[in-house]
Amino acid sequence: MGEEGTAGTVHLLCLAASSGVPLFCRSSRGGAPARQQLPFSVIGSLNGVHMFGQNLEVQLSSARTEDTTVVWKSFHDSITLIVLSSEEGTSELRLERLLQVVFGAMVLLVGLEELTNIRNVERLKKELRASYRLIDSFLGDSELIGDLTQCVDCVVPPEGSLLQEALSGFAEAAGTAFGSLVVSGRVVAATESWWRLGTPEAVLLPWLVGSLPPQAARDYPVYLPHGSPTVPHRLLTLTLLPGLELCLLCGPRPPLSQLDPQLLDRWWQPVLDPLRACVPLGPRALPAGFPLHMDILGLLLLHLELKRCLFTVEPSGDQEPSPEQRRRLLRSFYTLVTATHFPPELGSPEEKVEDAAQRAQVPRACYLVSGPEEPGAGWRLVALQLGPRRLLLLLSSQSPTHGLRSLATHTLHALTPLL
Amino acid sequence: MYQVGRSSIPKPAPRNLEDLDSVQRVLLHSDVEPEWLDSVQKNGELFYLELSEGEEESLLPETPTVNHVRFSENEIIIEEDDYKEGKKYEPKLKRFTKILKSKSLLPKRYNKKNSNDSEPVSILKHQSNQKTGVVVQQRYKDVNIYVNPKKLTVTKAKEQLKLLEVLVGIIHQTKWSWKKTGKQGSRERLVVHGLLPGGSAMKSGQILIGDVLVAVNDVDVTSENIERVLSCIPGPMQVKLTFENAYAVKKETTQPKQKKAQSNTSDLVKLIWGEEVEGIQQNILNTPHIVMYLTLQLDSEASKEEQEILYHCPISDASQKLKSVRGIFLTLCDMLENVTGTQVTSSSLLLNGKQIHVAYWKECDKLLLIGLPAEEVPLPQLRSMIKDVAQTLTFMYGSLDSAFCQVENVPRLDHFFNLFFQRALQPAKLHASASLNAQQYDASSAVLLDSLPGVRWLTLPREIKMKLDTALSDLESADFAELSEDYYDMRRLYTILGSSLFYKGYLICSHLPKDDLIDIAVYCRHHCLLPLAAKQRIGQLVIWREVFPRHHLQPSTDPNTEVFQEPEGRYFLLIVGLKHYMLCVLLEAGGCASKAIGTPGPDCIYVDQVKTTLHQLEGIDCRINERLTSSPSPCLSCADWFLTGSHEKLDSLTASPILSRLPGTSKVATSPTCRRILFGDYSLKTRKPSPSRSSGGSDNGCEGGEGVGLSPHTAPDAVQRPQRESRGSDGPEESGALLKVTKKKSALPNPFHLGNLKKDFSEKELEIYNTMKLTSGPENTLFHYVALETVQGIFITPTHEEVAQLSGSIHPQLIKNFHQCCLSIRAIFQQTLVEEKKKALDGGDHSASTNPISSLNPVKEHGVLFECSPEKWTDQRKAPPVMAYWVVGRLFLRPKLQELYVCFHDSVTEIAIEMAFKLFFGLTL
Repeated sequence: MGEEGTAGTVHLLCLAASSGVPLFCRSSRGGAPARQQLPFSVIGSLNGVHMFGQNLEVQLSSARTEDTTVVWKSFHDSITLIVLSSEEGTSELRLERLLQVVFGAMVLLVGLEELTNIRNVERLKKELRASYRLIDSFLGDSELIGDLTQCVDCVVPPEGSLLQEALSGFAEAAGTAFGSLVVSGRVVAATESWWRLGTPEAVLLPWLVGSLPPQAARDYPVYLPHGSPTVPHRLLTLTLLPGLELCLLCGPRPPLSQLDPQLLDRWWQPVLDPLRACVPLGPRALPAGFPLHMDILGLLLLHLELKRCLFTVEPSGDQEPSPEQRRRLLRSFYTLVTATHFPPELGSPEEKVEDAAQRAQVPRACYLVSGPEEPGAGWRLVALQLGPRRLLLLLSSQSPTHGLRSLATHTLHALTPLL
Repeated sequence: MYQVGRSSIPKPAPRNLEDLDSVQRVLLHSDVEPEWLDSVQKNGELFYLELSEGEEESLLPETPTVNHVRFSENEIIIEEDDYKEGKKYEPKLKRFTKILKSKSLLPKRYNKKNSNDSEPVSILKHQSNQKTGVVVQQRYKDVNIYVNPKKLTVTKAKEQLKLLEVLVGIIHQTKWSWKKTGKQGSRERLVVHGLLPGGSAMKSGQILIGDVLVAVNDVDVTSENIERVLSCIPGPMQVKLTFENAYAVKKETTQPKQKKAQSNTSDLVKLIWGEEVEGIQQNILNTPHIVMYLTLQLDSEASKEEQEILYHCPISDASQKLKSVRGIFLTLCDMLENVTGTQVTSSSLLLNGKQIHVAYWKECDKLLLIGLPAEEVPLPQLRSMIKDVAQTLTFMYGSLDSAFCQVENVPRLDHFFNLFFQRALQPAKLHASASLNAQQYDASSAVLLDSLPGVRWLTLPREIKMKLDTALSDLESADFAELSEDYYDMRRLYTILGSSLFYKGYLICSHLPKDDLIDIAVYCRHHCLLPLAAKQRIGQLVIWREVFPRHHLQPSTDPNTEVFQEPEGRYFLLIVGLKHYMLCVLLEAGGCASKAIGTPGPDCIYVDQVKTTLHQLEGIDCRINERLTSSPSPCLSCADWFLTGSHEKLDSLTASPILSRLPGTSKVATSPTCRRILFGDYSLKTRKPSPSRSSGGSDNGCEGGEGVGLSPHTAPDAVQRPQRESRGSDGPEESGALLKVTKKKSALPNPFHLGNLKKDFSEKELEIYNTMKLTSGPENTLFHYVALETVQGIFITPTHEEVAQLSGSIHPQLIKNFHQCCLSIRAIFQQTLVEEKKKALDGGDHSASTNPISSLNPVKEHGVLFECSPEKWTDQRKAPPVMAYWVVGRLFLRPKLQELYVCFHDSVTEIAIEMAFKLFFGLTL
């Protein structure tokens, strides 16, 4: 709203497309959930213009004012999501992806059937309340970046193979192929089948686990937006260590009670030390002692084919800017780079072929120098694409501009074995 | 308004003679009425364009099938080409006259028979006959029918019958037969209300209901005399009936608007885009695009349909959809402003699977909208386009309101936007007649260059510059005979505020403040004058109009009365073009000069003086041409030269980069694309076995690089020697020798003489050299650059000629990509500038603390590395060679706002600041 200060506001509106009844509105301000909402008339006209266009076969997709961006998107002709954001450096790409992930979250918790075939609006509203927590975590400042990159946030454990073995064995014993270890919303290790989960749920499931209040064990019904949007599955979680959770995705069997302490002990007691080492790993993503250049303040490594990413702003944590700012910078830079320079990651395959044919000029790297004129202030950002990997670095201003690319190349080579 | 003509002196002589002649006519017999005088409109505006002889010829064989419409004082003359008979009357010479002066949108019909007399003055005398012929043929049709008055005797008797009905078979209801008005029109038109079954008229099949009978055997007829005329038919015979075409009349009266939309294809648009205009036009009409001017304040009482639309263009099915959803735009504009407190700038929508961006420009309670497909026009470009449009219209009419809300402006705006959309959607065609290379360059660079707040500047050697300055100063001082106040002992009409001179579309000299300069340049751009001048298509151009330069009309913010206050004057723009030259003069009435009253037309004396100035400069144009055709400074490289580099580098990583250049250079010299590459590989292989030689080459390369690199010194002053080949290849002696083998055809200077040249160079020239070669390192790795200097409002970038020298297969793509990339880089810089402005507005209160580091701003440098490989790579066994290059943009906020965009090869790391320093050094108007 006009009279507010500099902090950016994000309003997310969800409406039933046919009736125009608002299903929910969520807002956040300056990265934290806010109660203040848009007036009803505004919600009505925002939806109205979109509907008006649709009736005339014109899809209104976005609008921009000097400081605000609005994005409309309707899903399955049944749900309309509208986001209005005045956050600094916001972009359509970010908002479109936000809407996709929000709808994914709604399907995850409510199921597609319920959303496309609205019989009782009031009941749907109530059911959707369950997803508020998850949705709010997308709107606010998160430590994760999967909502934007559509890649699974991962961490690299020191002794990955041991954990992997234990996990596979345990999942087999429990009678499911889908199992993963999650530390504060990031995947430490997962079974083959878990990695093969489709795009929205692969990101959403760990995110959901991370956003739920801590509990020793859960049995949570979830729909898989990509794999099984109408038939619910069970998400079983067991807290192995504080902050470290074991997740299993399974059908009606096994019951939670079958996963008794003995089974857990058998598989996890031997790897207790590696597990312990994982717990503080969350925000750092990389194993302790991994050699990184001094100037690197933040790092985002994406593997576009595996759909996994490493995201950290921990290195040289004592320097300016603060971790939140670093995260925002890297998020903005990612958005910029993806929206303007690099081809968007993995659309449908045929799209890709077409793209490659068109683009004789392929962008490989890009850098950005930001900050005031005087030397030594500001920061540098560099992005590098090599094969399926894309690396984005936030660097301090001491780093010379002409050395950015070689620094990024070295870092990428060092990181390649990890992801 | 737009008059496109051909020199009125029929002359077989070459062009120069003709020019001379016109000079004489103007200068010596200045009492002779200038040929543009007839074209001046009532409101004093003039747009007179006379094509050069050569241009005229090239347009001759065209067979227009669209309708040509000329706007003249009171009517619209529609030339229907639908009729086959009309074809033979096709205008031999392409001449469109157009005076957009119609007070009423609905044109009055006028009696054809008198058209020769009532022909508007706008149609030039010596041509009018032919022209009318066309009109007659198309608006009027002759029908020969057989009549037999003998038959009548049989049926006669009954009553005073109507011969028209019985004899010819045409039923005409005179008005008094169904409406009893006392004074039935004695001169009522004979409209065909019906056809008698079996009558000769029906049999002929050519007479339609609604046609108007105007003559029988060339005798004018009306309802009054028709019976008398018909009764004179003695016996059975063929009678020629002349009808005014129902079709034409109807169109003219009922669909004047639609007509106009089509008509826009003719005149200037057609002239510039050439003959394919129809196809293009059709294409364009199928592309959804629109401009609308809407009012946000609605009269709730008058609930007229579409009353909120004050203006819109074009009228096509594809655009109709966009028009129909204007409610979205109005609502968004209103609502989002209320919600966010800032104005809507743009929105995007999907229409038939195509993304359309719509840009908003709000002024008072009116809203200007421009919608274009995202594919053709990226959003940042659209944003700057709408800004330019608003700026130009304000410059031309004072405000958007006065531009859009006056009925008489509508045809002009149609025309304006037609040109605008042509430029936006078919940029390549604009430069159709230039060489393919230059055309591509123009089209790809327009994306960026048109959005820069500056004018393309051509740096010239100092002495030429001085001559130009002197000439312009002389003109501006206005103390020549007829303009001096003493001469007539009265106040002069106008003060010359300043002038700027363009040559082939480049600004070469300007004495105008930045804002005025940019206003004028944008005006010229929107009217496509600069590309016209670039190709010598202008025989003579005279433009005169009142303008509203923002720089002078802004109310002074300084309360101090001591400072200079702008007089409350009126301003006029005079543009005179002769061949490649175009001189824009801004005149002020009021202030020192006498006040302008009414709508003064162009003053002959001023036009002549400007023309004289241009003629004075004619001698210099060969010098300027020399500069244009000379080697580029700073020197550029062609992307294709670097292509094989990667192979070589893989083989010998330690070798200097120049090594890899050698085969590449020879390759380029050999020619056409695909084969060239294969050949290059071959030559590469053959050369490899002699490592000693190539290492020697690399040494030489470094030395020679210095030695020959010096050759561009000669560029500014002496271009008699075509140095560029050797310099272009960056020729070290050895590669020069190689070149000599392969480039036999080109006149290559002996590279071994360069050593001698070197001695002649003075230290001063060495200084120039530093500014000449932009990149560091032994070889020149610069591909392209754009440098914008916002204080003076100019930018420099390689000229068409310079780019044309670097022909290659990859290079044009590279240039295209460069401009597109720069556009997005610039969009990021724009955000930084917005932030800066905000900060400046906030003042010192909390300047440091306000901006939490959350967004990327302020961005000052941004670079992207691209890799490219040849398009057609036939060799399956090897991966195509890859060349990597940077596109780097750099923004300077202090000491003055400057922007620099460069494109260079990846082999050398460049520091943008250094390059900028070199480029901007000595860059002054």
